[in-house]
Amino acid sequence: MSAADAEHDREPARASTHRDELVGLVALIAAGVLIAAVGMRLLTGPLATLAVAGLLAIVATLVVMAIAGGPQARRRLAPYGLLKPGILWLALFYLAPLFTLARESLSTLPSRFAVQAEFDWSIGNYTQAFRDFGPQFTRGFAYAAAATVLCIAIGYPLAYVIAFRGGRWRNLLLGLVVLPFFTSYLIRTIAWSSLLADSGPIVGAIDGLRLTSVFEALQIMDNDRLINTPAAVIGGLTYNFLPFMILPIYVSLEKINPALVEAAKDLYSPAPSAFRRIVLPLSLPGVFAGTLLTFIPAAGDFINAEYLGNPNTTMIGNSIQDQFLVQNDRPLAAAMSFVLMAVITVAVFVYTKFLGTEELS
Amino acid sequence: MTSSDRPRPPFDRRQFLRRSSAFGAAGLSLPALLAACGGDDDEGASTGATGGTDETTGATSPGTGGASSPGGTGGDELFFENWPEYIDLTEDGATGTVDRFTEATGVAMRYTDAFNDNVEYFALIQPALGSGETIEPDIIAPTSWLAGRLITLGWVDKLPLDQVPNAANLRPDLQQPAWDPTGEYSLPWQTGLTGIAYNLDATGRELTRTEDLFDPAFRGKIGMLTEMRDTIGLILQHLGVDPSTITSFDEAAEAFEMLAQAKADGQIRAFTGNDYLDDLSTGNFAACIGWSGDVVQLALENPAVRFIIPEEGGNSWADTMVMPKGADSRDAAAEWMNFVYDPVQAAQITAYVQFVSPVAGVREEVAKLDPELAESPLLFPDEEMLSNVKGFANLGEDVEAEFDAAFSDIIGA
Repeated sequence: MSAADAEHDREPARASTHRDELVGLVALIAAGVLIAAVGMRLLTGPLATLAVAGLLAIVATLVVMAIAGGPQARRRLAPYGLLKPGILWLALFYLAPLFTLARESLSTLPSRFAVQAEFDWSIGNYTQAFRDFGPQFTRGFAYAAAATVLCIAIGYPLAYVIAFRGGRWRNLLLGLVVLPFFTSYLIRTIAWSSLLADSGPIVGAIDGLRLTSVFEALQIMDNDRLINTPAAVIGGLTYNFLPFMILPIYVSLEKINPALVEAAKDLYSPAPSAFRRIVLPLSLPGVFAGTLLTFIPAAGDFINAEYLGNPNTTMIGNSIQDQFLVQNDRPLAAAMSFVLMAVITVAVFVYTKFLGTEELS
Repeated sequence: MTSSDRPRPPFDRRQFLRRSSAFGAAGLSLPALLAACGGDDDEGASTGATGGTDETTGATSPGTGGASSPGGTGGDELFFENWPEYIDLTEDGATGTVDRFTEATGVAMRYTDAFNDNVEYFALIQPALGSGETIEPDIIAPTSWLAGRLITLGWVDKLPLDQVPNAANLRPDLQQPAWDPTGEYSLPWQTGLTGIAYNLDATGRELTRTEDLFDPAFRGKIGMLTEMRDTIGLILQHLGVDPSTITSFDEAAEAFEMLAQAKADGQIRAFTGNDYLDDLSTGNFAACIGWSGDVVQLALENPAVRFIIPEEGGNSWADTMVMPKGADSRDAAAEWMNFVYDPVQAAQITAYVQFVSPVAGVREEVAKLDPELAESPLLFPDEEMLSNVKGFANLGEDVEAEFDAAFSDIIGA
């Protein structure tokens, strides 16, 4: 067979590769758009039923195509099939609500007790969010940042010990890190509020040791109380998000080959310098991931400030919750949520830019 | 085949993971989730609310919270959603009056105490009632001002008063009140007094005045109510303003300033609904604004807890029974109201909850149960007590909006 013949044979094959992938991609996008449109209530009633039927038809067609098309077609269609559950899930439960929320944030309530806001492109909600809730935004981010730093300070050494000195106890120790998750988040926070209560064991112990003035000087206590202070809110955030910091750091430490450290020592590197130049850089991806997993949910948290804070420690999450569920001002709450998301997104981009892991590993 | 022979994907996996996790995580913050839920709230509310209509077909409807009734029969069950600690309980925790009612009339009843805060409760029922749907409870217990708002909005039905002969026992001063000028939509459940509650262990001294709430020694140990009329009402009287006659925000502005200042100074530990009792009992609150009967009940368990009407003056208020629009079980509701407006039954409730009963003739019945109790000015206010407590003026809608906005600015998150 000549080279020209071989070339001739490959042509149609490539064309069909192209066609299959195009079909897969178009089907994926069409299915995502259909389900998102239903979720956004752009299609309602019989149209929505039709859209869902269309969605099922698309999926069924692809399955038939994959079965009929032989192994080649199956292999080419597989990625789109595997992406589908995730894409459809996100389209319905993330994109659609996000769209509804964006629309709501640009709406106005026609009267004080109205239930349905009217969409009128009003940006008043955004100006009000900035004007009235500046301190809550600031506090939300400040507390979240403080909790993240504390999580690193507590979590890194712990992960280090488990990874390098844990030996056969490793799995047990990791299990203990995860153990608090067996109890509900809310219950754990309420437990803190009774532990830290004015008549509770911790305040009693501090009092017994005559350390109250020390704690007051450190601004951890305020007029003989631990709970309902900024320190309690930050402490609660730290406690609740600590495992999210420990686990990624542990994973990145655990992957480090101990021979690297031995090699450094063979080259007369003192231990601190070996840590700084080998272990730390190699574990930074874990710190990076842990920071995202801690800071982002902590910035929007409202449970800790609700149960451990006072009226002067409310975080932006509390304000959003209050506007949504107590004041029933959904347009304003939606605008505040968007501002929060925007600020977090920008913060994460800046953070990624300066501490991105790509160059390190 | 080595890895370098493989066709290279458009972007590498690590990059993909990092970017998508950054985006995904940004969207996963709690308020965003909350917000996303909020967008579909009316959907959820309607699902919960259609329970009422289900009952006509005999299907049992899943409750949103709390106790199930003894032998609930679905269809005829009467559902009363009330405030906590607001009905007599027997030793084993059963609601005495509810049991006696079911025994006497054969009507199955579901009684819950999910009502913690008027503003919160309004926010809960607003999506359903505001879009013309029904909510599950047949009777709810808003405070008078909220009852007035619900009446004005047309979100409550007229009571079946023609089937409630005992309604004639309503105290004369509560007939056709300002919040319900025709008296057709509401019957008071209990009335009561707002004053100052304190925990002697935490204060170390007896309190007598509203001014004590602003004592710097109690910084961070004071609780105030999310109920605007109670908190502002007390402060107004401290400032020498009569809350029952105010007509504009300007007259109350000074009280709002005082409250805002106290909050800024860290004087106030928390603004609470009916859940202030725990903090008071543990001593987290050295002192707080409280409701008479609640605190008197608590004082029976914890002798360090005291309740006073401050020298500057206290507040009086009324909580009502109203039927949300479209509530079925009207006959059962009438039987219930008739039952609790019988002085003999009302006395059982009064002796337990220690509030001021709206039913005339209760004092005599209480005297039979406990002669000492019948002399308590907190249960049966005398002239002196009455001269020292004030109701809160019925604010016009625009003025109320102004008060609410100013108040939620201070207490709200």
